[in-house]
Amino acid sequence: MDGKRHPNSFQQLEKLGEGTYATVFKGRNRQTGDLVALKEIHLDSEEGTPSTAIREISLMKELKHENIVALHDVIHTENKLMLVFEYMDGDLKKFMDTQGERGALKPVIVKSFMYQLLKGIAFCHTNRVLHRDLKPQNLLINSKLQLKLGDFGLARAFGIPVNTFSNEVVTLWYRAPDVLLGSRTYNTSIDIWSAGCIMAEMFSGRPLFPGTTNEDQIIRIFRIMGTPTERTWPGLSQFPEYKTTWQMYATQLLSTILPQIDPVGIDLLQRLLQLRPELRISAAEALTHPWFNSLMGSQAGQRQHAQHHQAQQQQQMMHPQGQGGYQQVPSQGNYGAY
Amino acid sequence: MPPTRTTRTQRGATKENDENAAAPARMTRAKAATLNVDELAMPTKALQSKKTAINANPTRATRSALGDVSNMGKVKAAEAKSKPPAKAAPVSKAGPVSKAAQPTGIQKKPTTSRAPLATKETSKKPEPKRSGPGSIGSQKRKAMNPLSSNAATKDHTREDGEPTRKRLLKAVDDEKKADVKQVGASRKESAPAPAPMPVVSEPVERYIPQTAVVLDLEDIDDPLMVAEYANDIFEYLRDLECKSIPNPQYMSHQDDLEWKTRGILIDWLVEVHTRFHLLPETLFLAVNVVDRFLSEKVVQLDRLQLVGITAMFIASKYEEVLSPHIANFRHIADDGFTEAEILSAERFVLATLNYDLSYPNPMNFLRRISKADNYDIQSRTIGKYLMEISLLDHRLMAHRPSHIAAAAMYLSRLILDRGEWDETLEYYAGYTEEEIDPVVVLMVDYLARPVIHEAFFKKYASKKFLKASILTRQWAKKNAAVYGIDDIHLSLDEIA
Repeated sequence: MDGKRHPNSFQQLEKLGEGTYATVFKGRNRQTGDLVALKEIHLDSEEGTPSTAIREISLMKELKHENIVALHDVIHTENKLMLVFEYMDGDLKKFMDTQGERGALKPVIVKSFMYQLLKGIAFCHTNRVLHRDLKPQNLLINSKLQLKLGDFGLARAFGIPVNTFSNEVVTLWYRAPDVLLGSRTYNTSIDIWSAGCIMAEMFSGRPLFPGTTNEDQIIRIFRIMGTPTERTWPGLSQFPEYKTTWQMYATQLLSTILPQIDPVGIDLLQRLLQLRPELRISAAEALTHPWFNSLMGSQAGQRQHAQHHQAQQQQQMMHPQGQGGYQQVPSQGNYGAY
Repeated sequence: MPPTRTTRTQRGATKENDENAAAPARMTRAKAATLNVDELAMPTKALQSKKTAINANPTRATRSALGDVSNMGKVKAAEAKSKPPAKAAPVSKAGPVSKAAQPTGIQKKPTTSRAPLATKETSKKPEPKRSGPGSIGSQKRKAMNPLSSNAATKDHTREDGEPTRKRLLKAVDDEKKADVKQVGASRKESAPAPAPMPVVSEPVERYIPQTAVVLDLEDIDDPLMVAEYANDIFEYLRDLECKSIPNPQYMSHQDDLEWKTRGILIDWLVEVHTRFHLLPETLFLAVNVVDRFLSEKVVQLDRLQLVGITAMFIASKYEEVLSPHIANFRHIADDGFTEAEILSAERFVLATLNYDLSYPNPMNFLRRISKADNYDIQSRTIGKYLMEISLLDHRLMAHRPSHIAAAAMYLSRLILDRGEWDETLEYYAGYTEEEIDPVVVLMVDYLARPVIHEAFFKKYASKKFLKASILTRQWAKKNAAVYGIDDIHLSLDEIA
């Protein structure tokens, strides 16, 4: 991470995706031949290095973990800023689209992905970082079926007590109800809600709460989780977006809506998707949930092995020719995660 | 595809208003910032005329523009008038003197600044006479009486950014306080790695003593305290600390600079920070960026202010929800540098620091200790002032942020006569009385000497900050001898 590396150290291959403040290319290290992902940050001629990039680089340099995409290098030239990440084959959204049954993944895969997702989140939180934009497009998957958190553009470090932050975070469908209601004092629980939404989506192949507007998003959540009241959620009426006109929905059983999920899994999902942030389970706690007991032993090594085994099976299923990633790379939009 | 992040794309354009509307508590601050921003972006006539009038002396212009922030506006104006015009156009003049460091200005400062403050002190009537820490308590409380605790809370929280918590989540605090629990001695506190720098008194592995009250249990229901991660996080921050300490001897490789000039720069940054209504964290990060940069690079005097303003620009981007636009930074430095220069400096500074802005902010530690002090507003406010001394007095640079925070709270409680540094405080601060002592001595030493950083002194002379700078200075002058400091007539610059 010397910052003096020349952009020419990497051969730029095809474009992987385009984000709001960056373009991602596949790249190859000319010296080692290793594949990398090159995230080229658009430098604002007026405001300089975007705050998203400053936070992302600073935080990702700290967060070295097997379930977080590794930042290898930062290359800074006069007019561009390039981040060099470890190469991942694709994101979870694409994985579901190409590998799932109408988007739905096998329970054993979901379990492994959820475990890895929660491990990544727990590591962030232990290092006082909120990701604030968890969604399938930002979870990267490689051919070994490892899942890693990517795109820390909205992430930030928090203090204790947590300061007030912007409530314009997290893509709508994965945004926690307290944030939708206008809270700016959210904490680690913001990422947990997203994890719950992602779990349901992996099982069903469809987003759980595909809202179109802030208001619609809130209603969609209430329709399933039940409309809260001051009695079920003390302090509810203090939220800026609180409405007395909300239609009162009864709480539905998640097991009815998501019959694919076994009862123990439903129990975990229930704990992830608590309306009240203070009742949401923490990532560290969720990792000890009985649902994960079946992940072939509790030792990390065994788990790795299991994952690897699954990965091989999966690989064969997907690539009879046994080459490359698990999918052909479509032209755009699927690698925004870096 | 799901709806894309409207959030990101909208950010630049509409976010500001939304955010202000959404959070009343923060609104005052944010709105104020926006207002200032507008004012700065499009200078009003008043500002313009002022500018042309004082054109010849950029630093002065800025300072008097800043005057309205403090309660010293009039003094400022008078002061500005009495100042001899300083050298203009530092860029063209190759002279070694920049606007950040106008020697005539510097020498004048102590006298001009102290005169008005002295009158203030005397008019402030019942400044209690105290002989030692023991006798202060009751008198002090009387002296502070007019600041009812309510008013104090309001002021403080606005500055601190903590208030919404109370509004939103009707703090169950009170009930919880009742069942504070004792916990056995099995849990460990941090075991920080050895620091590379001359950091005094390394905290070693600490066990919770039987008598220390474990406070995190109170917070189990308060999401803002992130109770389940609090210990891990503080452990992690303690590990990070040693990596972010600048080289405390960097001045020896700076040909053009001295500690005194650095002091002037930081004092000016305190003013800029106040002017922009930024978070306390931002100031600490900005100064850390300045010092880590100066640890790596040799800087010419006429570029020092550029380093300072760039550091503040970067720190704002990292810490703030709304960071001021670059035009504000250019303007506050009196157009001494172009925006292109600031942007190019930004890239250079970031690259020099390897984009590492993971500085364990001392505010985190202060709040942590304050928790063990029942969030006493007075001791924390005074503590904040004392902690900021570490920004201006380079002798404190070698110490870890957690050590500075511990010393600040310790000294604050001593001045306010808040009782012993008990085991709970020791545990949450991570330092014993003995370990804290050397830092406290330095703080008292700074306080007792003549005021040389006037913006800093004035900021904390306001009611909002409980007149912390005046109060602590008086205490320090009386007690300096106890700490073996016997040359308090000499300023920090003079003993350097």
